[in-house]
Amino acid sequence: MGGDYCYDGSDVGLLTLLADIIPRRVEPRSIGVEQPQQKDLFTAPVTVTTDPELAERFRVELFRRLTPLSLEQLRRAWYADHPGRELMICRFLLLVWREGGRAGTMLANPHVAPFWKLAQQVGREAHRYLGFVRFRETTSGYYYASLAPDHRVLSLIAGHFADRFRDQHWVIHDLRHGEGIVYDCTRRRWLLLPMLAEGDPELTPAEETFQRLWRKYFAVLAIGERENLSLQQGKVPLKVRPWLMEFSE
Amino acid sequence: MAATIDLMDKLKTLAEGAKYDVSCASSGSHRRNRDGIGNAASCGICHSWTADGRCVSLLKILMTNCCVYDCAYCVNRRSNDIPRTGLTPAEVAELTIGFYRRNYIEGLFLSSGVVGSPDRTMELLIAAVRTLRHAYRFNGYIHLKVVPGADPLLVQQAGLVADRVSVNLELPTRKSLALLAPDKSREAVVEPMRQISSLIVANRAERKESRKVSHFAPAGQSTQLIVGASGESDRQIVTLSEQLYGKMDLKRVYYSAYIPVNDDRRLPARPLSPLRREHRLYQADWLLRYYGFSAHELLDEQCPNLESDLDPKTGWALRHQELFPVEVNRAEYGVLLRVPGVGVRSAQRIVAARRQGSLRLDDLPLLGVVMKRARYFLTARGRYAGDCSPGSTMLRSRLIAAPAKRDHGQLSLPFARELAVEAIATVISGEF
Ligand code: SF4
Repeated sequence: MGGDYCYDGSDVGLLTLLADIIPRRVEPRSIGVEQPQQKDLFTAPVTVTTDPELAERFRVELFRRLTPLSLEQLRRAWYADHPGRELMICRFLLLVWREGGRAGTMLANPHVAPFWKLAQQVGREAHRYLGFVRFRETTSGYYYASLAPDHRVLSLIAGHFADRFRDQHWVIHDLRHGEGIVYDCTRRRWLLLPMLAEGDPELTPAEETFQRLWRKYFAVLAIGERENLSLQQGKVPLKVRPWLMEFSE
Repeated sequence: MAATIDLMDKLKTLAEGAKYDVSCASSGSHRRNRDGIGNAASCGICHSWTADGRCVSLLKILMTNCCVYDCAYCVNRRSNDIPRTGLTPAEVAELTIGFYRRNYIEGLFLSSGVVGSPDRTMELLIAAVRTLRHAYRFNGYIHLKVVPGADPLLVQQAGLVADRVSVNLELPTRKSLALLAPDKSREAVVEPMRQISSLIVANRAERKESRKVSHFAPAGQSTQLIVGASGESDRQIVTLSEQLYGKMDLKRVYYSAYIPVNDDRRLPARPLSPLRREHRLYQADWLLRYYGFSAHELLDEQCPNLESDLDPKTGWALRHQELFPVEVNRAEYGVLLRVPGVGVRSAQRIVAARRQGSLRLDDLPLLGVVMKRARYFLTARGRYAGDCSPGSTMLRSRLIAAPAKRDHGQLSLPFARELAVEAIATVISGEF
């Protein structure tokens, strides 16, 4: 029991690690991303070497053991940007291995509750970004949106946008985590890729017009009698406003 | 987009004229995107929030603010001296697509003043929607207003191109309608509602036979009531809503607190806390639709109006203290739903969680129960957490003395309600 574990920080790496420890019912003391420099013989954590085949087998195993709802929650927690996510996922899966599918509904269990809460947070943020993504039309023939979400929500929202905007090329760029989704409307496929920020792309003249129309429209909407800025701020936190043209200027 | 300045002005005026219409919901439709652009997400999505905290989901706009009618409460009425303008169907379509492609909106909510005749107006509205659906292959959400008195054939066409259609009932009784909206007869309003309702039912049946039959208003029908412009009691309003949900199968009834925009002898000067009343009506409406309450349980001759300092569920529970406290580990789902502080989602969670082992009081907040109210109405493993006994006369003052923080100054308005199921649940459990 116990011990400190380490992996390479990738999704496949984490799956490998879980594949290694979950069936053995090991509950680690910590799970971290490996730091090449720290090679102290006594405190060195167990480093699990990424093994795509093992990871894939374990993924299939997850699909077999988890209920659809738990799978969805796992997907959300997986993309959390939270230092404890690996451990929470691990503890939850251990419970699944012990209790079976009903683990997903044991909401009062101390190992389920934090996992569940985290998954919910990510889910909520992902849902919010379905609305907060703002595309700008670039002269290169694609629509470009940038954002900086707390969690790595792109994979959770890509399907929605791929379904909705099938007849335009688009890119959604997560500046905080340095990754982006690229959608190719001729092949109708999206890919999650590492992506650096390289300044803003050049925009079309129509883009300018629509942004102005949108700002105008937005300005009209508030009914003066009912102003409630704190409610608005709860719904549209300041940190997302740089990406929303209706809040710029 | 040549004449931009002109378009900016038109947009301003026409959005101005439409913004008092409260329905922002874009949910309930599952239009799929085959080749074109857009789909209707089954849970509505908010794209922004206005300074007054309402969800922005649809481009809500009038085709024109010209109107041959003269409704007392409306800015666009014939007798008001205001600048008049209008968009062509092509302009409406172009604006909608431009906004949609940039993910500003979920879709379009198109309404209009009455130009020429109800039929002429409907033709214009339908032309705009057809352009969107056919020329742009737009599969996004469209809510289309039906003008009272329009030809049944046009009403039918509207339902075939739109996701949701609505006829505004505006005023709860025939009498106030005649007083405040003299050009609209009750029949002109109710007839299209009936027609739509039966077309929806027929369409549902036909689509069961064959999926090839095209959808008729897949997101159903809604309506709006103006509250506070006429003298009806909450009981009259809630009872009317119950009938609309039951008999006409409406998806939503929206309540809009009357905001004075015109000086008119027929209208009340300045209604007392209209927003609070609107808020309570929405809460009562939720109790009808999701909590299994009926109108006569919430309101009767002795108390024809909702209490302004207690939410309607707590009010009901206080009048029925003999039913409480209930034991969370045994009470049926329907009974749990009636406990103040327990929402739909938390009731579901309780039912799921107690299968795994009996629940303690400490478990309840984790499941989303708002203990501030719930503790007076439930027990867990026989333990009661209220600081006065269940039947106590102090109960009422305790519950009023500890209102939710936001109830002090500003109310959270329930416009943005139809979000994700999750968001709804949070709101519900927060409210009741
Ligand atoms: S019909 Fe009545 S409510 Fe509608 S725009 Fe005309 S005056 Fe206003």
